[in-house]
This record gives sequence, structure tokens and C-alpha cells, in this order.
Amino acid sequence: MRTRILVLSLLLATLGTTAAHAHAFLDHASPLVGGTVATAPHELALTFTQNLEAAFSSVEVTDAKGVRVDQGKPQISGNTMRVGLKASGPGRYRVHWHVLSVDTHKTEGNFSFTVGGP
Amino acid sequence: MSRFPAYACALAIGLLSASLPLSGAFAHCFVGPRFFPATLVIDDPCVADELSLPTVSWSKTGDVPPASEWDISGELSKRITEDFGISIGETWSQIRQPGGPTLAGFADLETTFQYQLLKDPSHETAMLLGLIVDWGNTGATNAGIGTPYSFLTPTYYFGQGFGQLSDDVGWARPFAITGQIGYQIPTTSYVLSQNLNIPQVLVYAASLQYSMPYLKSEVKDFQLPDFFNHLIPIVEAQLFTPVANNLGNPSITTGTVNPGVIYIGSTYQIGLEAIIPVNSASGSGVGVLGQLHLYLDDMFPKTFGQPLIGATSTPSKAPL
Repeated sequence: MRTRILVLSLLLATLGTTAAHAHAFLDHASPLVGGTVATAPHELALTFTQNLEAAFSSVEVTDAKGVRVDQGKPQISGNTMRVGLKASGPGRYRVHWHVLSVDTHKTEGNFSFTVGGP
Repeated sequence: MSRFPAYACALAIGLLSASLPLSGAFAHCFVGPRFFPATLVIDDPCVADELSLPTVSWSKTGDVPPASEWDISGELSKRITEDFGISIGETWSQIRQPGGPTLAGFADLETTFQYQLLKDPSHETAMLLGLIVDWGNTGATNAGIGTPYSFLTPTYYFGQGFGQLSDDVGWARPFAITGQIGYQIPTTSYVLSQNLNIPQVLVYAASLQYSMPYLKSEVKDFQLPDFFNHLIPIVEAQLFTPVANNLGNPSITTGTVNPGVIYIGSTYQIGLEAIIPVNSASGSGVGVLGQLHLYLDDMFPKTFGQPLIGATSTPSKAPL
């Protein structure tokens, strides 16, 4: 048993010296996930928990009818992705993102926000 | 045994070293936007590169009078290909019987072979097939903790997120269930020396979990303190029902219900659960179960965290 515990301890200590990399997860968004804004935003900003690979990360924003309202290719800097939004009216908008973190892990997600309303 | 405290200290130092550099994000068993954590009692529905070390539990057995049992275990899981993985697990147990001897030793070595049947990102569905093998004569047989025969348990695992629910019940979308059902077959049906039939047992389990990370990133960001956005409250239940070759043994279902919570970090998770026996044959009183779980695919994304064969390469185009 002594040998087994020593081996486990050394393994743990080795793991502990490893730099933390991970999947990129959505940390916060503007407009907020599930939030309501009074006027249509000009931009959507997504901030992730890891830096992103710009070439392999993208976002799509659609209105209630499924029509895209984003202005295409997002701007990516570090862990933040921004995309311009076309002028649009009140309603519910859907955001669908795919990203690749710098350590090659892929993640995706989607959420809604509302313009106008209560 | 007298030198155990020194090695317990070494283990504690190892644990401390492992925990120091870790900081917030998420990892591991993703199916679309759904993240299934590694549950403490049952297995999550993904093949993965991961290490559960240690899992520590304390409980009282269903004996009269009840014995006090400590279990300390570890399990290493490694993907061989993208869809096929192998796990190796080992448990050390100590059972203190009031007025009787203290039994201690390793249980039989456990290996699990798993194949990923399905990962459906759009429906947050995962399915897995596995074969669990408990190798006889590899544990403390004399202490009654290991057995002189092996067990084979073909097992089906599943995970289902509720993310497809409509926005009208958006509060329910962070819910997910996972489960497994297996049929445990001993390699020996009868032990002559003990005049004992070794039953075939149905092993079934499920978890109900509510993902605060999912709530924050997919449904509504309530801007809660960050700690709460890393929590997944969970209830697990695992039951065992002898279904064949059980003549002479009590024909009763045993098991536990385990409410608790899992904290998700960037390359690790920590889980803590209560152990509530479902009947007197399953245990006495409330026990406790804790686990440190490491995501090796996030700790070593370009080496050990890749499948041995057919490692994932960088995609050739943006996914949208």
C-alpha cells in the first residue's frame, strides 16, 4: 500500500504543476444572456473564460423569423468576440456561437435576448 | 499500517499541489451546449481522459450492530480512440465492527471498457456502452473485501439535457438526467466452501442535476456571485436487485440516494454528497461521499489528454 500511495502522491504533485488550459466557456455577454434592453444594440460582445482561435470561432444572431441580423465576421481579441448588429426593431433575438479555445477545445452555446418589451 | 500517517501526509501534499494552480472555467463532457459533470456514484455518459482521485466515503453498514466503513478510491480513464476508452479503478476499504475485528484492504481491481454510441449536440443526448470487469483474486480476499471470483457487468449509460424545452419554461432547461443500467454476472455461481450462491444482479442508477453554469450561459444571467455559477446541485441514486441464482440469499433491493453538489472548476471538479440508504439492508444512518476529479484532457490538451489513436486535429474551417 505504501508504494501505491507514494505513486498517487507523485502523480498528483505532477498534475498540480501543469498550467491550466480548458474549454472556452461563455463568461458573460452584452446584452446579457436572457436579458432585455430598451433599444436595439449596435454590437454583441461575448467574453469567454479562455482565449480564442479567431479563425475557428464564429457567432450568428437571428431575429424571431430566423433572419440573420449580425454583420458577418466577428472581431476576436483574446477572450472576447464582438460582432456588429444591423438596425432592427423590438423582438426576441437568438445568439448561436461556436468557438475554439487556444488549446484546441471546441465549445458551443446559444441564448436569447430581447429588445424592447417589459 | 503503522506508517500510514506519513503517507497520508504525502497524499495530502499531493492533493494540495494539484489544487493550487487551478482557476475558473469549464471542461470535459460536452454535448453541444450541455456539460455533464462526472457524477460521484455513477459514471457520466462520455468516454474521457480523467482522473478521480481521491473519492472518499464514510458510511455505516446494514449489519446489526452496524459497522463503520471507510472507502478511499481512485480511477483513471483514458481514451484509446475518440469513441473508445478504458478505465482502471482501485478502492481501499476499512470496516470497523463494534466489538469485532477491523477489516482493511484493497477491493478487487476494476476495469471498464466503454464505447461512445452517440453524442447528439442538438438534442443534448449522449449514450455509451460499457463492460465493467471486477477482477477476482486481486483484492483482500482473506478480509472479505475482495472476492476469489470476477464479475462482468455489461452496462448502458445515457445522458439527456433538457435544453430543448421552450423558453416558456426556461427555468427548467438547466435540468439534465443521466443514468446507467447494468447486469452483473459473477464468473462463479456457487462457492462450495460457504455453501453460497452468487447471484446475478441488476445494477441501475440515475442522477438528476441542475446546472447553474447552463442557467447563466444559456438561459438567463442573474449576475450571481461567481461561486454559484460553478455549482451543479445533484441527486444520485444507485440500486442493486438480485435477479437470478439467488437461492438462500435475501431477495431484497439495496442502494442509496445521494443528494449533493458539484463545484466545476477549469480543470477539476469537487463533489460532496450525503449517502442515504434506501432501507436497513443498505446501511444505517447518513454517510458522506467526497471526490476530487481532474479533467486530464484540459490539463494536458496536446499530450495525455488526446486519444492514443486518431487524436483530434484543428478543424479546417470555422463551424458556422
